[in-house]
Amino acid sequence: MFNKVLIANRGEIAVRIIRACRELGMLTVAVYSEADREALHVRLADEAYLLGPPPSRDSYLRADKIIAIAKKSQAGAIHPGYGFLAERADFAQAIIDEGLAFIGPKPSAIAAMGDKEVARNRVAASGVPVVPGTEGEGALRDEELLAVAPRIGFPLLIKATAGGGGKGMREVNSLEEMPGLLQAARREAEASFGDGNVYLEKLVEGARHIEVQVLADAHGNVIHLGERECSLQRRHQKLLEESPSPFVGDDEALRQEIGAVAVRAAQAVDYVNAGTIEFLVDKDKNYYFLEMNTRVQVEHPVTEMVTGLDIVKEQIRIARGRPLRHTQDRITMTGWAIECRINAEDPYNGFLPSTGRITQMILPTGPGVRVDTGVYPGFEISPYYDSLISKLVVGGETRGEAILRMRRALEEYKVIGIRTNIPFHQRMMESTRFLGGQYDTRFVEERFSMEASEEGREDLSQIAAILATLVAHQRAQRAAHIIQRNERDTSNWKWVGRWERMHR
Amino acid sequence: MKYLATLGNREYLIEVIDEAHIVVDGVPFEVDFEAVSEETVYSLLVNHRSYEALVYPGEEGWQVLLHGSQYLVQVEDERERRLRESLGGGPPENVDYHLKAPMPGLIVAVPVKEGQEVSKGDVLIILESMKMQNELKSPRPGRVARLRVRPGDSVEQRETLLSVV
Repeated sequence: MFNKVLIANRGEIAVRIIRACRELGMLTVAVYSEADREALHVRLADEAYLLGPPPSRDSYLRADKIIAIAKKSQAGAIHPGYGFLAERADFAQAIIDEGLAFIGPKPSAIAAMGDKEVARNRVAASGVPVVPGTEGEGALRDEELLAVAPRIGFPLLIKATAGGGGKGMREVNSLEEMPGLLQAARREAEASFGDGNVYLEKLVEGARHIEVQVLADAHGNVIHLGERECSLQRRHQKLLEESPSPFVGDDEALRQEIGAVAVRAAQAVDYVNAGTIEFLVDKDKNYYFLEMNTRVQVEHPVTEMVTGLDIVKEQIRIARGRPLRHTQDRITMTGWAIECRINAEDPYNGFLPSTGRITQMILPTGPGVRVDTGVYPGFEISPYYDSLISKLVVGGETRGEAILRMRRALEEYKVIGIRTNIPFHQRMMESTRFLGGQYDTRFVEERFSMEASEEGREDLSQIAAILATLVAHQRAQRAAHIIQRNERDTSNWKWVGRWERMHR
Repeated sequence: MKYLATLGNREYLIEVIDEAHIVVDGVPFEVDFEAVSEETVYSLLVNHRSYEALVYPGEEGWQVLLHGSQYLVQVEDERERRLRESLGGGPPENVDYHLKAPMPGLIVAVPVKEGQEVSKGDVLIILESMKMQNELKSPRPGRVARLRVRPGDSVEQRETLLSVV
């Protein structure tokens, strides 16, 4: 039985896992790249080991080095977090081969769910509905994909076989534009995953992205922790999640039905540990299996907030061979939780990534607020890793209270030195469609703008003008002051001459 | 000291009398203005109403982030205003477009060649930063000139990558 855990990750999730280990009384080992020597996870862990240069392939993707460090530091288990090596079956297998514990599912389950075509076939065989696409047809060449596309129908999606997180994904509206998009998708997939294979999938229009958290122990018990609504996305990257889903709402029958289907999908691959089944749900409440994420999710805190469970601690308990402490009938969702992903991106400039040093940061606190972050004032945001710097999570008795609380928390949150998407979330919290829960996966890209929808907002132009003027005035005064200070009644040369004579 | 603050098509004439008093378009205000955490975050009390904002200097003026909205404000003192008026109009139209890296990153691909004709919307450079591949497109038709980067190069923010002439 292990009591020391190596965390093969960085950023907020590494910090999150270290915290869970601390609470369980376990020792922690951090690994880091040359860019992350000062990162929070290195500072918080009991031990830390350098992996290599900043690029991921030389550091956080070096499975061999990570396993060697685990052995050297006598860590009995490795937690992969999300991203990087989290969904690599060969990594999980190598860990097990060394006699260590992998805090995650069996390599066979990762492999089955990691190959999306295999995954679709496996879950479909156990009666889980799937979206039409090039399922189970292996790595098709461009000519073959172009031939199949009209049969699936447009619009459709090109997706990376080894992918996730929207990388290597392209939307196609016609056969004419498809060859160029195929090339772009393959190139991005190759760069991100080292695998340029792609497949096609019908685009479900007006779709909502709803996912179900499951927990499975090594003794055959599988439970679900309810759903999360993840429809607010930009370029297939999630921006905001909530639990429960306003679309499922009071429909308890639908909730239990999707939950039961998710449990079945997990059982189809003999799943162990925490995982997430993603569904596309259309406006008529038809749902299709999209994929399974065989790891902890970025947005797991919203489920923790409404169920009261600590998912990361559950992961560690399961990896230690313990049976689940809860049965399905003991799981209830209480209140409402919302998470905003705070990214180093400028919402006023096409969401371009923003890098630089965080000079100051004021975190929101107070009732019902949780911040998971891996950064602090003085930390440098480098261009090597993704732009997520923190997750702001709030809970309330009702969705209304959660939204008002999120507005309050966003206004308190100040990050200085880099640009963040906090203004985007502030605008979202005032959007009438969001307030009404009326949004699908296209909402941000098609019907949301940072400039529009000013009506009903207090116009603070005059205050902004005063602020800018006073800042400009202060600068001008300060500049004038510096010049004045150097002014002497005699010339500086004369003054130096006198000073030298005086000290002869 | 008198300033002219411009937001879009709105103008405010603001006179700073002393630390606690200003006059905006002839109306006096009592103000208390403090920089919180050294710079960028400012706390302003106007007739005892409290506002907090981020104020950044930008290329086109001051950017003020206030209650979830961004305001672009140009501030000129009297001397700057006279200078601009005497010049008459803006700077001469610069026809060359210089593509600058919007962020630090790695050049993944350069799908164009020196001297190649491009149209508006054509991809000039693919730049990877924070795990995302960003396609940098031409804002107008023209010919690629002074191509300074190759795939595999690391570039700094605002580094000029090529020009479209």
